[in-house]
Amino acid sequence: MIDKAIPGAIGRVVATELKPATPHQFHFWTPTDTSIGIGAIVKVGGNGTGEEGRVVYGVVTEGFAYSDLQTPLHDVVGAQGDPTRAAEAPTARQQIRYWTAAVLRQTPEEPLQPVPLGQVYVADDADVAQALRMDTFLYSATPTAIPVGLYTSAGRDSPVYLDADFLLGPEAAHLNISGVSGLATKTSAVEFLLASIFAHFPAHKGRVAALCFNVKGPDLCFLDQPGDLSDEDRHRYERLGVPSTPFERVQLYAPLKADGVNLNTLRTHPDLVGDVEPLTWGLQEVVDYAEVLLNRDDIDAKADAFIDFLRDRVLGRTFDDGFGTTHRVQTFADLDRLFRSIFDGLEITAGGRSDTWRTHHIATMRKVRNRLLNISTRCKGLVTDDGPSSDLPWNEFKDRTVYVIDIANVDPLGQDLVFARVVSKLREQLERRELGVDAVVVFVDELNKYAPGDGPDTYVKKMLLDISERGRYLGLVLFGAEQFRSQVHRRVVGNAGTQLFGRMDMDELATPGYQVLTPATKSKLATLPIGELMVRHPHFTQPIFVRFPKPPVLRGRDGVERFPPAADVPFEDAVVRQLVRLDRRVRPNQVKDLIADREQDDVRRALAAVRRTRPDDVLAYFRKVLGARVDSQASRPREHQAVPPLNAISDEPY
Amino acid sequence: MTWWHALIDAGAVPAAYAPPPSSGASARDGAESNAPADLVEDDELETHAIAGAAVAVVPPTVSFLNGMGRWSVVAYDGVAQIVNAYVAAAVCRRDDRGVLHATLERSRAFAIAPVGRVSPALRALLEQVAPDIEPVDDALVGQPARYLEQVESTVRRARAHLERELAEAATAALGADEWLVLDGLLSRSPAVARHPRALGVIKSHGAQFLEGRGLERALTLPAGYRTSVFAVRGGHTRTEVYSWYLRLWPWEGNDLLYGLLRVEARADRETVTSASAVSGWLWAERAPLATPATRWDRLLYPLHHVEEYLKARAPRSPAVRSRLPVA
Repeated sequence: MIDKAIPGAIGRVVATELKPATPHQFHFWTPTDTSIGIGAIVKVGGNGTGEEGRVVYGVVTEGFAYSDLQTPLHDVVGAQGDPTRAAEAPTARQQIRYWTAAVLRQTPEEPLQPVPLGQVYVADDADVAQALRMDTFLYSATPTAIPVGLYTSAGRDSPVYLDADFLLGPEAAHLNISGVSGLATKTSAVEFLLASIFAHFPAHKGRVAALCFNVKGPDLCFLDQPGDLSDEDRHRYERLGVPSTPFERVQLYAPLKADGVNLNTLRTHPDLVGDVEPLTWGLQEVVDYAEVLLNRDDIDAKADAFIDFLRDRVLGRTFDDGFGTTHRVQTFADLDRLFRSIFDGLEITAGGRSDTWRTHHIATMRKVRNRLLNISTRCKGLVTDDGPSSDLPWNEFKDRTVYVIDIANVDPLGQDLVFARVVSKLREQLERRELGVDAVVVFVDELNKYAPGDGPDTYVKKMLLDISERGRYLGLVLFGAEQFRSQVHRRVVGNAGTQLFGRMDMDELATPGYQVLTPATKSKLATLPIGELMVRHPHFTQPIFVRFPKPPVLRGRDGVERFPPAADVPFEDAVVRQLVRLDRRVRPNQVKDLIADREQDDVRRALAAVRRTRPDDVLAYFRKVLGARVDSQASRPREHQAVPPLNAISDEPY
Repeated sequence: MTWWHALIDAGAVPAAYAPPPSSGASARDGAESNAPADLVEDDELETHAIAGAAVAVVPPTVSFLNGMGRWSVVAYDGVAQIVNAYVAAAVCRRDDRGVLHATLERSRAFAIAPVGRVSPALRALLEQVAPDIEPVDDALVGQPARYLEQVESTVRRARAHLERELAEAATAALGADEWLVLDGLLSRSPAVARHPRALGVIKSHGAQFLEGRGLERALTLPAGYRTSVFAVRGGHTRTEVYSWYLRLWPWEGNDLLYGLLRVEARADRETVTSASAVSGWLWAERAPLATPATRWDRLLYPLHHVEEYLKARAPRSPAVRSRLPVA
């Protein structure tokens, strides 16, 4: 994998009083037709300078060209004021290519001295490994190298590796990638890097999985489908030792649409929809993360206390409301009945004179009721009236598996809820060592939106901060992406041990966070082609440019073209499809006959029960739960069919 | 340690004196003797407009030869001044992209000393440590200024000798269509002076070949014009060459010699017929300007390049160091 070439000198270090060589920077010249450019890694040998044995590695950060022309006016005079005649001069002026390089590494490292004025060579594979201090984790007894791309400057294609201990913990962790939208760089880079991690995650570090939130379009919906790769891409995969095949194990989750049976995702093509698991949650899951719903503008201690009361004393228990009614709250409908009973009780029994119930003010209760019940309306399909019908396998995450949660079409509040619950559950399970894997990479795109540098402290932002600052101890690793790094909370990006930069906007590059970069590096960043990144990693003392191959998976847009989403099917057909997916023996006509005269809510509950139970004989179980009471309140006369939406004009002050 | 440091360690007084940089070249060509010119074109000296750069035919391959000399007083033995001198010459060939590449190069580093006036101990040491000694007449030792003129002359001769050797080597190695352009007199070497594709370009006009109306026409030549070709016997070899004046830049507003070149070529009828074409070629060589050289108006850029090349490769002059009193 590592090539060792014997290069010829391509330049020579020069130092003047105004531009001396220092321990961290040096200057050198090359012929004008040199192959090196900004980002090239070079090696300076001390031989012949009285410093035999010293080797300095550097990366080119700035380039200059100038001739012996003393003033531009002389060129004007020479051409007699006619630019077209300037090219007629029979002799080319003496000119220079003059480069500035930042020191990556010196050997020996002590004493740290200015760079010797020696010959400059193009770095070969082994030099690149040395320069980037990759030798420590590439050649150790327990290598932890994860390929991130190929260093391709100066005609080379040397593999560049990240240290898994610094990418996935425990030494450092997290990765942040910035870049303008529309160049397929951020998502593609993460997809490639996940493939690389799955191929190279060291055995001694255990098992690893990835969980990706698909927050826009079909970006991550086709990770299990092969994409088109060029021969150059395949060569790069070969050089990097990463298989050029799509992910073997992908599990995609998507909420249902408001009809409760059709999936709310773009992966609904008949050939693929069978692999999509519905993601639906019930009251218990929502109440556990009620802070997500409340913290936007009105969280307070009173609301917190009331939610805690509901969680500890009411939910899932037999509860007397004090007005003569016993409740067992398991669904949103149950909860609404409880609230109505309490409000009616206060109005009727107390004659409207009391505005507190069990020390909780009626206004607080109304606010909590509004927020909790609102979610079931706004996120209908994700949140159901019934208990958890379909969730991630929290105890059985599989090694080298990508879990994709498609929330692209979910209400922003619902997205926050999904983030909060999924990440919290991951942390919880990792703390208990009950997740099934030792490390999970969580990919969150649009960090500008979820962890902005300004704005209110939302629950999601606090959660992302928590992962950033403490996740590495647990194996919970955040791969975040955004368009404008400067607008993401600085503790989120600052805690990312590895940072990738795609093509950047010049306005973004003008922000203080990029002041450490030279104008030439900024210029290169502003014009980076697709597939090239600038990498910062704890082992690299300077940013390095690498190229990575196109991901071996079908891009979202291509996936939608190749597998056009199916139109929503009628309720009966959707039920049939879900049951058939669970049991191929199910006959559509049998299902349609079963549900012909049934209430849709009853059918949905039965379907949820089947999904939850996963019986051997799906049709028999479905028939059983459909014909029997599905939930505790199912047999009681229903006052309404679903959780009613909140009154738009409410007299409560919240 | 250099040879003069050994002398200083042995008791010589350290010195640091270098002549002003401009004194060498102008005096060199001016030292050539005056000789009357015989016109070989026209009945009297005329002016001829040359073709502009747009129609100039520049030979595809041209080599340029130039030299440099540098000296400085490095030690005293009494009033005897001991000089460190360095002369060098190089040929740079211009490729089809217009880039110059050094193809031939020679140099000589030597000591100049009035050996007879140096004390026996230092003399023995000098002969032991200095690799190359050029003795000079010790009669002028007591007159430091005149002694230094003698040193200057010695260095100039050494440089001219080196340039002549290199020119002969270069002409022998010239390709079929390749030309050689020398900075200075072509006539130092008969072999070079007779070569059909060798030119001498003289920037200094100490030697006068014309008089009367002819001289006036030559000195007031408009830019873009040349004079009639005349025959001269130049250099110590007295080899006959053909020559003409060429004005590269308008002299009005400057001085009579501004932009004025004298070109030497072999004494042959072909030279007369090609004088305008060659002048057009040299006219095209005005760009790029040879700045920041002080005489850029008549210094061709490639020759300037060779000179800069030689300077860059020359050992650092000891006189460059500070001349503040040593504590």
